[in-house]
Amino acid sequence: MSNFYRLIQNENMKIVRRPRTWAMVGVLIFALLLLTAILKIDQNPNIQNNNWKQHLTETNQRLQQQIDENSADASPDMKLKLEGEINKNLYYMEHNVNPYEVTIWSVVNGSSSLMVLITLLTVIVAADMLAAEYSWGTIKLLLVGPASRTKILLSKYISTLLFTLFLLVLNFVVSFALGGILEGFGEISRPALTIGAGGAVEEGSMLVAILQNYGFKTIELIMYVTMSFMISATFRSSSMAIAFSLLFMLIGNTLVNILSKFEWVKYLLFANVNLSQYANGTPVRPDMTMLFSVCVLLVYFVVFHLISWVVFTKRDVAG
Amino acid sequence: MKNADAVLQLRNVTKKIGKRTIVDQVSFDVPAGEVFGFLGPNGAGKTTTIRMIVGLIAMTAGEIYVKGISVNKQFERAMTHIGAIVENPEMYKFLTGYQNLVYFARRHTGVTTERINEVVKLVGLQNRIHEKVKRYSLGMRQRLGVAQALLHRPSVLILDEPTNGLDPAGIRELRDYLRTLARQEGIAVIVSSHLLSEMELMCDRIAIIQAGNLIDVRSMNDLKNRVAHRIIVEVEEPEPTKEVLTAMLPDIAMAVQAGQLEITAGRDRIPELTRALVQAEIDVYGIRTANQSLEDRFLELTRGEQIV
Repeated sequence: MSNFYRLIQNENMKIVRRPRTWAMVGVLIFALLLLTAILKIDQNPNIQNNNWKQHLTETNQRLQQQIDENSADASPDMKLKLEGEINKNLYYMEHNVNPYEVTIWSVVNGSSSLMVLITLLTVIVAADMLAAEYSWGTIKLLLVGPASRTKILLSKYISTLLFTLFLLVLNFVVSFALGGILEGFGEISRPALTIGAGGAVEEGSMLVAILQNYGFKTIELIMYVTMSFMISATFRSSSMAIAFSLLFMLIGNTLVNILSKFEWVKYLLFANVNLSQYANGTPVRPDMTMLFSVCVLLVYFVVFHLISWVVFTKRDVAG
Repeated sequence: MKNADAVLQLRNVTKKIGKRTIVDQVSFDVPAGEVFGFLGPNGAGKTTTIRMIVGLIAMTAGEIYVKGISVNKQFERAMTHIGAIVENPEMYKFLTGYQNLVYFARRHTGVTTERINEVVKLVGLQNRIHEKVKRYSLGMRQRLGVAQALLHRPSVLILDEPTNGLDPAGIRELRDYLRTLARQEGIAVIVSSHLLSEMELMCDRIAIIQAGNLIDVRSMNDLKNRVAHRIIVEVEEPEPTKEVLTAMLPDIAMAVQAGQLEITAGRDRIPELTRALVQAEIDVYGIRTANQSLEDRFLELTRGEQIV
C-alpha cells in the first residue's frame, strides 16, 4: 500500500514541479481578482444606499400587477413563482437586509461561476496525464518498474482528482478571503433565502447553498476530466483529449436543447451532467429524474474507466 | 527447467502480431556477472525481445524468469530485480537530475538518500545533479539513465541500444563502466546493439538474432577462435614455403598475395602452423592475423555460411 501511496506522490510531483501548473494557479487567482473588481464596480450606488426599499416596493407592485393581469391564463406554477418573489422581497424589507449590497457571499457565490475555468484547467492537466508521458518518451521508464499498469493508471487518475480538489479549495478560499478583505466579514451570517413549496420564504445557510452549487458543478467537472483522461489514455494525444472534452462541454448544452424533442437525448452525457436542473430548474425532458441522471452518469463513468484501463494495460509500448 | 545459476532465463519466448511472427521461440540463459550481447540487424526482433523482458510488450507464448520469478505471473516482483534503460533514457526535463532520481527511487522499497548520493557519485554527476535535466547533454542524460537503473541494486541490467547518440568517448566510458559493474557487483548485463565493434569490446557472450530466430549463442572468445582468420606469415620466399606447408597441412587454404603468404584458418590452428614452420626450418619474421572485423564474421553468420 505504501508502494501505491508513493506512486501518487510521484504523480503529484510531476504536476507540482511543472511551471505550467503555477501559471494555471495564477490565471485562476487573476480571474478571481477580476471577478471581485467587476462586482465592486458594477454595484448600483442608488439602490445601494437608502432607496433600495423603495426599489423593492416598486418591484413588488410590478410583480403583483403581472399576477393580476394574467390570472386568467397563467399556470399555477407561474403564479406561485411570482408570489414567492414578492414574499422574498417583503422578507428583505422586514429584516432590513439589502439584497443589492455586495457582501463577502456575493464574491464567494460569484466564484462558483469560475467552475468553467477550473474545468478547463483540469481537463488540460488530465489530457496530459498519459499523453505527455508518451510524447516525452518517459512512458518506458514509467512502466518498467515494480508497479502494475493498473496501479500506474489509478495513481494518475487519483492525482488528477487531487489537483482538481486543490483548485476548487483554492477558488473557494481565495474568493472568501478577497470578499472578506474588500467587503468585510460583517455580513457572514446573512442567510440564503429559498422559496418553499407554498411560496413561503425559507432561511438557509449561505455556506450550504454555495457548497451545494459547487457540488453540482464538481460532478460535471469530474465527468469531463474523466472523459479527457480516457481520451488521453486511449489515443495518447493530449490535444485530442482537450479538444473533444471542451467541445462537448461547450456545445453539449446547445446540442441537448436542439435535440430535446427526441427521447434518446436523455441517455446523452450532456443531458445529465448538470444535476442542478433538478434542484433549481426544469429538467431537459420531463421524464428525467435526479436518480436517473445519477445512474446514467455512473454508467458513463465506469465505461470511461473501463476503456482507459483495457487500452492502457493491453497496449504494447514499441517505438 | 529452471537453472539456478541463471538470473535471467527465456523459454520459447514468442511474439506474433497478426500472422507475422516477430520473435520465434527464443530461449537463452544469462548467469550473474556476465555481459551478454544481443546482436542483430535492425528489425530482427532485438528490441521486441528486450521489451518483452521488461514487460513493455506482452509475449504471445513462452516464459521469462528473472531470478526464477515469472515476468508474466509476478510482474511486480520480477521487476524489483531489473534495472533498465530502453533506448535513450528520457527523463523529466522540468525536474533536476536529483529530483528525477528521487522520483525513480520512490518506486522501489528501501532506496535511501545515501544510496541516491552513492549512485550519483558512481556515475560522476555530483557537480551537475541539481541542475534541470533540460540543460543536460546527451552523455549526461545517459549517465543519469544508468544511475536510475542502478538505484535499487538490480540483479539484471538491461540496456537497449545504449550507445545510440553517444560520442566515442561516451561509448568507451559506458563500456568500461558496464564491465566493472558486471565484474564487481555480479550484475548480469544484457546489451542490445547493432554496433558490432562495440559488442566485441563489451560482451562475454553474444546471441545473434535474425528474422526473429536466435541463430547462435556463443562466447566472445569462441567466436574469435572459430571464425576463419586471415593469417599472414612473413617469410623470405613465400612460394616455396607455401608448397612445403601445403604438403604438411593439406587441409589449410593458402595463397601468396603481394609477396606475402596468406593463410585462411581458425585462430586455434596458429600454434600447429607455427610448429610446422619450425619443423621445416623456415625463417619466420612474423605471424599476425589480419584484422577482420566482427562485422565480416557477423555477416558470414547471418548469411548462414559455414563457420570454419
